[in-house]
Amino acid sequence: MGEIEFLRVTRRYDNGHEALRDVSLHFTAGSMTFLTGHSGAGKSTFMRLLLCLDRPTRGQIRVNGVNVAALAPRQLAYYRRHLGVVLQDPHLLSNRTVIDNVALPLRVAGEGERDAARRARAAMGLVGLQGKEQSLPRELSSGEQQRVGIARAVAMRPAVLLADEPTGNLDPMLSREIMEVFRQFRALGTTVIVASHDLALIRSLGERVIALSAGAVVADSNEESFDPADLVDRA
Amino acid sequence: MKRAKGSTDPWPRIGGGFGGWLRDHALTARESVRELGGRSATTLLVWMLIGIALALPAGLFLVRVNLEVLSGEWEGRPGLSVYLELAAPEEVQDNLAALLRLRPEVERVDIVSSADALEEFKTYTDLADVLDALPENPLPASLRVILKAEVEAGGLEEVAAALDGEAGVADVVVERTWLERVNDLSAALTRLGLLLGVLFGAGALLVAATAIQLAVEQRLAEIRVMRLVGATDAQMRRPLLYLGGLYGLGGGLMAAMWVSLALVLIEAPLARLAGSFGQPLEVVAFDAGFFLALLALGLTLGMLGAFVAVQRRLTAIDGF
Ligand SMILES: Nc1ncnc2c1ncn2[C@@H]1O[C@H](COP(=O)(O)OP(=O)(O)OP(=O)(O)O)[C@@H](O)[C@H]1O
Ligand SMILES: [Mg+2]
Repeated sequence: MGEIEFLRVTRRYDNGHEALRDVSLHFTAGSMTFLTGHSGAGKSTFMRLLLCLDRPTRGQIRVNGVNVAALAPRQLAYYRRHLGVVLQDPHLLSNRTVIDNVALPLRVAGEGERDAARRARAAMGLVGLQGKEQSLPRELSSGEQQRVGIARAVAMRPAVLLADEPTGNLDPMLSREIMEVFRQFRALGTTVIVASHDLALIRSLGERVIALSAGAVVADSNEESFDPADLVDRA
Repeated sequence: MKRAKGSTDPWPRIGGGFGGWLRDHALTARESVRELGGRSATTLLVWMLIGIALALPAGLFLVRVNLEVLSGEWEGRPGLSVYLELAAPEEVQDNLAALLRLRPEVERVDIVSSADALEEFKTYTDLADVLDALPENPLPASLRVILKAEVEAGGLEEVAAALDGEAGVADVVVERTWLERVNDLSAALTRLGLLLGVLFGAGALLVAATAIQLAVEQRLAEIRVMRLVGATDAQMRRPLLYLGGLYGLGGGLMAAMWVSLALVLIEAPLARLAGSFGQPLEVVAFDAGFFLALLALGLTLGMLGAFVAVQRRLTAIDGF
């Protein structure tokens, strides 16, 4: 689990706008990749397609060789249990404590209450949220809320970690720490894909970078032809 | 993390085992009860509405069953009484009886002599002394004719008409006893009960469905996140089905309360009514079975309503 292929994927919306245009990409299991590009370039669309919250108009997305658009509803649910997701907006449940939010994927996967709490606590420790277990999301700063979302995504130790602007509300120090957490998971075999505008951060980490522009791949650091200058003005 | 190998899944299967399923049910049940408590005003309102919807047909059912018991001994067959002239000789009675027994509609003919009639009269009235004082028996002999059950009311009139001209016959009375009226009432109640049952059952279902639809709207965020982290449709439905079930169960309980309240209120007048017919009042069928049936009905309707609401809504929820 964890190998991802985009095969000539196009997503055209009803209004004729193509949010992704003929995108072909390959991500090996246990790799880490940054997805960058201007606002509206198609980063979130990419994530949504991989999550099967949306379907490609043309082309195929294969995870471990399986076309995810063809999954039956039940299989789709089980597929998603392998994905850790940090969305642009953390989407926390306002009426549940932080630890309950973090433990939600564990609970959905049928984990016992005690194990779920233990693992949720561990995930919160990774993102520096110790002591906030019993807080409600509204009692946290937006950066803290974002980290709750990150803890929820990593609590399952997912095979694939998708993060859409996970550090938008975090200071540079904390952003770096979060990226280091993602790297730890990569080291454990998780395929990590992070959408980000933060070119300085991306550069300093030295991982693979893919730049999107108007729905098309315009730069990929894995390609021979890659020129770092292509990234300038792309983020 | 347990990673059981699922045979059809292209990747290791997380969860989905029996233990996890059981845990999910237990947790969902606990949270649903807590949620009901947290929204007590809504809960009470929904319980009342479902309770009223179920109480009416349930009450009618009780009334009907009791009427049936009340008229149970009566065979429910049409009949008539043929009163003979006082002066008529006894053979007239026997001949007439033989004649009647030949008719295909007739099930049975009982001969009541004037002495029998007097006895009967004495037992059912307080006029025994008055009658004893009379020089002779003023009551005529009669024939009681019971027709076969399948004979329509028209048949009764026909027999009556045929007897009218016979010599020695003073009067023919077609019997429509109060029990027969009770039977008509009972039939009407059955139909009314069925109609109301369907109507109000649908009402209860709608109340549950509406309440659940509101709950779905309130939980949209939660449902979306649940789906994102890999909840199956069944898992997303589960809390809502529990909620619907609890609404229905509470409604059934309320209905039982309404019905018993109604019984208490009408007990005294009903007892008087029953007493006037020489019957002791004894409400039957308001027992544990009735109670459980109400609860089961409420539970079923509540869950069904929830299912309808959830199916309609869940499929319409799209991504973020
Ligand atoms: N439902 C939709 N219907 C029509 N167009 C849409 C829809 N959703 C997104 N788009 C368009 O698709 C394009 C890509 O959107 P997307 O959200 O993927 O951008 P993004 O790279 O994530 O941008 P940002 O950095 O601002 O989050 C945008 O131009 C957007 O307007
Ligand atoms: Mg976006």
